[in-house]
Amino acid sequence: MPDKRTAPSKGVFTATVLANRQTGDCFYKADLEFTDAGAKALATFQAGQFVQVDASDVSLPPEDTIPAHLRDVCKRKVLLRRPFSFADVTAEQDRTTAELLYCVLGPASVRMTTLERGDALSIVGPLGKGFWVPPEKDTALLVVGGMGAPPIRCLAQSLTAEHPEINAVAFVGARTAETLPFEGTLDEVSQQLGFWVPAFAKYGIPSVVVTDDGSVGSRALVTESLVQWLDQHEHRPEKTIIYACGPENMLSALARVAEKWNIDCQVSMERRMACGIGLCQSCAVECRVEGSQETVYKLCCQDGPVFDTREVIFKA
Amino acid sequence: MTTEIDISVDFAGVRLANPVMTASGTCGYADELADFMDMTALGGFITKSITLQPRKGNPTPRIVETDAGMLNAIGLANVGLERFIAEKLPVLDAMAIAVFVNVAGTTIDEYVAVTERLACEKAIAGFELNISCPNVKKGGITFGTEPAQIEEITRAVKAACEQKVLIVKLTPSVTDVAVTAKAALAGGADALSLVNTFTAMVIDTETRRPVLSNRTGGLSGPAIKPMAVYLVNRVYREVTKDAGVPILGLGGIRTATDAIEFILAGASAVAVGTASFVEPGCAVRIVDGIRNYCAKGNIEKLSELVGAVDRDETG
Repeated sequence: MPDKRTAPSKGVFTATVLANRQTGDCFYKADLEFTDAGAKALATFQAGQFVQVDASDVSLPPEDTIPAHLRDVCKRKVLLRRPFSFADVTAEQDRTTAELLYCVLGPASVRMTTLERGDALSIVGPLGKGFWVPPEKDTALLVVGGMGAPPIRCLAQSLTAEHPEINAVAFVGARTAETLPFEGTLDEVSQQLGFWVPAFAKYGIPSVVVTDDGSVGSRALVTESLVQWLDQHEHRPEKTIIYACGPENMLSALARVAEKWNIDCQVSMERRMACGIGLCQSCAVECRVEGSQETVYKLCCQDGPVFDTREVIFKA
Repeated sequence: MTTEIDISVDFAGVRLANPVMTASGTCGYADELADFMDMTALGGFITKSITLQPRKGNPTPRIVETDAGMLNAIGLANVGLERFIAEKLPVLDAMAIAVFVNVAGTTIDEYVAVTERLACEKAIAGFELNISCPNVKKGGITFGTEPAQIEEITRAVKAACEQKVLIVKLTPSVTDVAVTAKAALAGGADALSLVNTFTAMVIDTETRRPVLSNRTGGLSGPAIKPMAVYLVNRVYREVTKDAGVPILGLGGIRTATDAIEFILAGASAVAVGTASFVEPGCAVRIVDGIRNYCAKGNIEKLSELVGAVDRDETG
C-alpha cells in the first residue's frame, strides 16, 4: 500500500496553557496555544502524530490530593519528556491551538494537573507519522479503546475537513461509564446505532458505545461491536478502513478482525520512549518483513506511531 | 574583550573546534538531530554502536525512568556495517566535524573487521571501542572488565586503524577503573572515554518482575554524574596525566557547568548523552556555556582547565 505520509518540520516549541481542567475520573484536558514558529509547525500536525511534553518543571499538587496509588511514584522527579497525541488541532491566522487530553497515570501526568492558564510548557513536535487515507475509501470505522481517544478524535476532525467522500462511524469502548474518555453526557438519542458521543457527533459521526460492565451502552468488547456492525451493514471491504487506538490486546484483536474481513486497518501503537525523535531506540515495534520469516524492530516514534496491522507483530 | 577565547581541543591529535561531543547511542547517526541543532557547531560526533551484522536489539521494554536518570537495555540495535557505510556515512561526511565511530561486537575478530573496513574512510577521525556495553549477553562488558582482555582487544583493533584515533570506552562497573584504564593504554589506546552506564535494575512491584525485558540495564543521566566525575579524576591522576592521554568525560552532563566539572576533573573533552533525549539541542547550548564560563573567568585557553582541580592554586 502506498504510504504517502511525510515528516513535516519539527522542533522545540513553547506552548501557553489556555485552560486545564478535570473532565472525568482520572481524565484532564489542557488547551494549549502556539504562536510564531510553533504555530506554523503545529499547524502541520497530522492526526496520529504526537508531541513530547516536558513536565519536569511543573510542580506537584498537594500530597493529599494525589491519588493514593500514585503517591510513592510521585516522589520521583521527572527526567524524560512524555509522549501525547493531540485530540484536536486548530490552526488560525497567527496561532495554533491544540487540545491535550491526558490520563493521570504517573509522576509526569500528576504534575500536569497543576498547570494553570498562562503557564508555559515545552513541547517537541510534531513527531512521527500519523494516519493516512489510502485511495478509494468511502467508509472509515474509528475504534477507540479507553485512553485511545485523542488521535481518533483528531482523525475524525481531519476526515471531516479533508475527506467528505468518507462516511465514518465511531466505536468506543471503556471499562465503565466513568472511564469513558469524553466530556459531556451521552445523548441517548434514537440512532439505530445507539449513542451519540458529543466529541464525534460534532462532526456528524455516530458512535457505538460499549462498556465492560454495561454501565453505558451494551456490555461488550469494542471489537465485538465492530464485528456486529460489519455483519449488519453493507460495506465493500476494499473501500472500508479501520482506524484504531487503544490497548495493545484490543489492537491485535482488531488486526484479526481486519484480516478475516479483508479490510485495511491502521493502529496507533504505544511504547515507552525516552526521546521520541529516533535517538534512543527504545520504542521498538516488532514488524514482519515481506517475503521472509525474519522480523525487524521498527521505531514507534519514527516509523509510527501509526502502523498498518498487516506488518505488526503484537505483544498482547 | 581583547583576546579570542580558544575552546578548541587537541584530542589525541584530532583538532576539535570545541570540547563537546555527542555520546554514543544517544544521538543516532546524526541525521535525526539535524532538525534540532546545527551539527557543525559540535566539537565531535560519536555514532551509535556499529556491529559487523545488523542487530535487532532487545525486546521491549528497553527503558525505564528512575530518580534523576534512566535505565536502558537497547541491545546494540544498529543497521550493521554495510548499511552504515551506504546510508549513514555520507551524512556524517557532510557535517565536516570530527566523527568517531563506536564499534561493538561479540568477538575480537568482529571488532577488528568493522574497524579495518572503516579505517580507510576519510570522513572518520577515529573509533570508540565499546567494550563496556552492559546489555549484550556475549562481548561488551565481558571484554571490558578483564584487564588482559582489554589489552588484547585494544591491541588488535589498534593494529587495524594505525592512522586513526582509538578511544577505549570503559565501564564503571569494575572494582578499580585505574586498572582497566592502564590495560587499555598498554594495548595502545590513544584516548579513553569514561564512563559508560552503570549496570542497574528496576523491579515492578505489581508484577514482581524486572521492568526491562533484559532484566538489567545501564543507568545514565544526572544520577551518575558525581560518580562519573570521580572516576574521570581518579583515572586522570593515576593513569592518563603522566601518559599524556586525553579523557573524554561523560555521565549525566546536561549543562555547561556539568561539562566544566568533568574538564576540571581531568577530561579534555566531554560528551552529552541522556540530556539530548530531553533537550535535543542541548550539546550546542553547552558549547556556548563553556565559552561564557571561560570569558567570565578570563580563561584564554580551555586546556588550562583540564585537571585543574588538582593543581596548586598558586600554579
